[in-house]
Amino acid sequence: MNDVANKTQEIVRKAKQLGADEVIAKTTHGKYRQVRFSNNQVDITVAWNDYVTDVALAWKKRLVATQIHNFVDVEKNLKQLLKLAKVSSESPTYRGFAKGKFDYSKSRGDKRIEDLQNLTDHVFEAIEAAKVEVGPKVDSGGILLTKFERVHLASSEGPTATDTRSSIELSIRAFAEREASGHGVECSSTLKDFQPKRAGTKAGQIAKLARKPKIGDEGVFDVIFDPLIFGSIVSIWASMVSAYSIMTQMSIFVNKLGKKVASKIVTLRDNPAPYSLSNRTFDDEGVPTKENIIIDRGVLKTYLHNNSTAKIFKTNTTANAGLIAPSAWSVEMDPGEMNEKELFTEVKRGLYLTNTWYTRFQNYAKGDFSTIPRDGIFLVENGEIKKSLKDLRLSDNALAMLGNIVGVSKERQHVHWWGEADPPSLSPYVLMKNVHMTKSK
Amino acid sequence: MRQDLIDYALGYAQSKEIEYVEVRGQAQVSDRIILRNGNLEAYASAVDSGYCVRIMAKGGIGFASTNLWSKTEAKQIVGLAFKYAKSANRKQKLSFTKEKAVKLRWTVDQKKKIQNVPAEERIEMLTDIDKRVASCGVRIPATISQCSIDLITKYYVNSEGSRISSFVPKIGAYFFITVEEQGKTEQAYEQFGRSGGWEAFKEWKVSDKLVHDAKVLKNVITKAKTVKAGKTDLVCGSEVAGIAAHESCGHPMEADRILGREMSQAGRSFIYQGGPFWVGTRIGSDAVTIVDDPTIESSYGYYMYDDEGVKAKRRFLYKEGIINEFLQNRESAAKLDTRSNGSSRSINYDREAIVRMANTFVLPGRLTEEELLEDVDHGIYMKSFTEWNIDDKRFNQRYVGREAYLIEKGEVTSPVARPVIETTTEKFWMSVDAVSKHVEFDAATCGKGDPSQGVPVYTGGPCLRLRGVFIK
Repeated sequence: MNDVANKTQEIVRKAKQLGADEVIAKTTHGKYRQVRFSNNQVDITVAWNDYVTDVALAWKKRLVATQIHNFVDVEKNLKQLLKLAKVSSESPTYRGFAKGKFDYSKSRGDKRIEDLQNLTDHVFEAIEAAKVEVGPKVDSGGILLTKFERVHLASSEGPTATDTRSSIELSIRAFAEREASGHGVECSSTLKDFQPKRAGTKAGQIAKLARKPKIGDEGVFDVIFDPLIFGSIVSIWASMVSAYSIMTQMSIFVNKLGKKVASKIVTLRDNPAPYSLSNRTFDDEGVPTKENIIIDRGVLKTYLHNNSTAKIFKTNTTANAGLIAPSAWSVEMDPGEMNEKELFTEVKRGLYLTNTWYTRFQNYAKGDFSTIPRDGIFLVENGEIKKSLKDLRLSDNALAMLGNIVGVSKERQHVHWWGEADPPSLSPYVLMKNVHMTKSK
Repeated sequence: MRQDLIDYALGYAQSKEIEYVEVRGQAQVSDRIILRNGNLEAYASAVDSGYCVRIMAKGGIGFASTNLWSKTEAKQIVGLAFKYAKSANRKQKLSFTKEKAVKLRWTVDQKKKIQNVPAEERIEMLTDIDKRVASCGVRIPATISQCSIDLITKYYVNSEGSRISSFVPKIGAYFFITVEEQGKTEQAYEQFGRSGGWEAFKEWKVSDKLVHDAKVLKNVITKAKTVKAGKTDLVCGSEVAGIAAHESCGHPMEADRILGREMSQAGRSFIYQGGPFWVGTRIGSDAVTIVDDPTIESSYGYYMYDDEGVKAKRRFLYKEGIINEFLQNRESAAKLDTRSNGSSRSINYDREAIVRMANTFVLPGRLTEEELLEDVDHGIYMKSFTEWNIDDKRFNQRYVGREAYLIEKGEVTSPVARPVIETTTEKFWMSVDAVSKHVEFDAATCGKGDPSQGVPVYTGGPCLRLRGVFIK
């Protein structure tokens, strides 16, 4: 066992000695590298190194947390934390950290991502690909982000675990004209599978099609969602299946367990698999992560839990623990039976949306919200893209939309983009009926 | 925070072939209390400190940060920032504007030091608020209450000779309530924030506001009428005026966005060189003047010097309806051949400072709120908002009313449910024919940057009167 793992365990031992009932310490040594670019040129390259231990401890059912940086002032920090616990009050949610010794699958963090040197080469590969589609006047911007983390976890309740987590992602937005843009992303947990050219090509293709957009019409449409925008919509549902969202009424899924919440062709999973951007072999309580089916052929099967919320809901943890509340790691929608082209042929008159941002709710429990599609918005007639549109807003209901899914493509893509499509997802093209679109007046 | 190591990093960077370097250290004590339904859910407290190096070399920018305080690490991150700056290989070389070097320390005073307020007292304050809200006669099945405290110490040095140290305590609070009546729910949130001491908490009158919100939501379910869609007059309360000023004036006036540097994330602006809108173009009526001002004492967005060592000042963004002055940092100002107006902010040592708002608000007019209303024959009074958003060029926006009423013959009458204004920036601000004389502020967290940097800001304004806008 290495020095960092030992020091992490020492924090747990020390906290117990000082009087804590249960303790978890998770040390992350993270190396993050980012290239930001715009106007086809690199604006800034950023490196940040982070050395941090997250500590959560319980004392007489009081739950407190802190961060210790680089193992400095451990005893002082723990004493302070216990002092806070003693002036705190019992948490109604806390039911204990996960207990037991577990076997973990092998960590598959890609060391090549940690060692990656020529970051800007990948950026220029994407820009050149967009240029091929749009021509030399393309104006593109975006980010390349690499992450490599070594994670050590120790818990007073049994689990000790070590993981390496890696990811590389590129996001590029290409403009063919001032109001004609496309957005592409390329996300991978390994360098081997990372193909930035694909993102540039996709961004360029959409931008090219989006030239000379006209203001679209309000109305109710059949809509094809590109995997990127569907990743944003999926992230809404993912946040709402956290047991914490249920307990705080910030979800459309309250009292819906075992009930039909989506059309039959919808199966959603949470799966931080090795190929996911959120790859991890254990959660923040040290429980081995696994695939969880959230919605199975339209029926809500589970909320996402840590050990405490699982006990409240009289079930088992789904290994989605954060230090305070459970959350989805990486969402997958099962593929459908049609390919992308066949999905388009289902549309007599509708829209193809490629990206969105600024999603806001008026009521999370009811699910009423709006979001603003950006980049290519297209009118589709008889399966063909007929016109480029702009300035439309999707104003609908998150629960109704789940029920209105009528087609899912075989093709799926790993998508993640800024805070808009987060957590990462493996998303298909999706056809949805009766989508409400509005515009400025 | 070890200032000697920050000075060392600066000196070491200056030994290299650089055009500019700055080192910014930040130490932050953070404290978060989270209650659910009046019970303490979790208490998190942490101390973090680190520093970043930003280097301009060969017309490129490199940035590196760490929370390891050693000379070896300092050398390593200087080396990384220098390497990254050189590797940018830009055709159009970047530069920073030269600004006056300053050596000073600035701080924000606290009447009642947050550090001296026991955790028990803070928890009790939140618990009491929840008790009062729970007993207000409205069924409230879920509440979330949070209180945040951040004690922020910074030390900034650059190759121009600036040495600026600062200390800012920030206190914030956030509340979310769900009201249930007749089997239906409505939700609302309130955010509070201040630069200063614990005295702020009592001044916010949190309980009164939340009880008011709960009753408003109950009325929305039980009494409010729906709005008949069509053109009508609209009076916006200060909260709506503030969000509109922030979204459709502050953001599109950020020079980095105008220049395209945020094109892939936060987006661009309807204002751009060669486009229909630029400095000197009309975007609103004469009644509309919107400023961004970091110098408002005790405000959530307060600062005396920005994170590039430039003195803060009031910026007139839209002046009497005319696009007037962009928000600038050193990089954008150099590109546009002007000066930084002190708009560069970073949320922590590990984030690049970028162009940000501070406190953005509509300047007041001469009318009282009553005078503003009495001249409306038929209209809607949207006092506060719930759902809102705006497109990434900052032109098409939507605000959905949370507390809203009919105005009939100059009188505020019955409540209306969820009125919506969905319109363009130009139509919104051109429709304003009068503003009231009393300005109010709301605390908010403004999002921008990748990785995201949520910075504390105020939004605000007086009441606005808009003529003949489409409401549905």
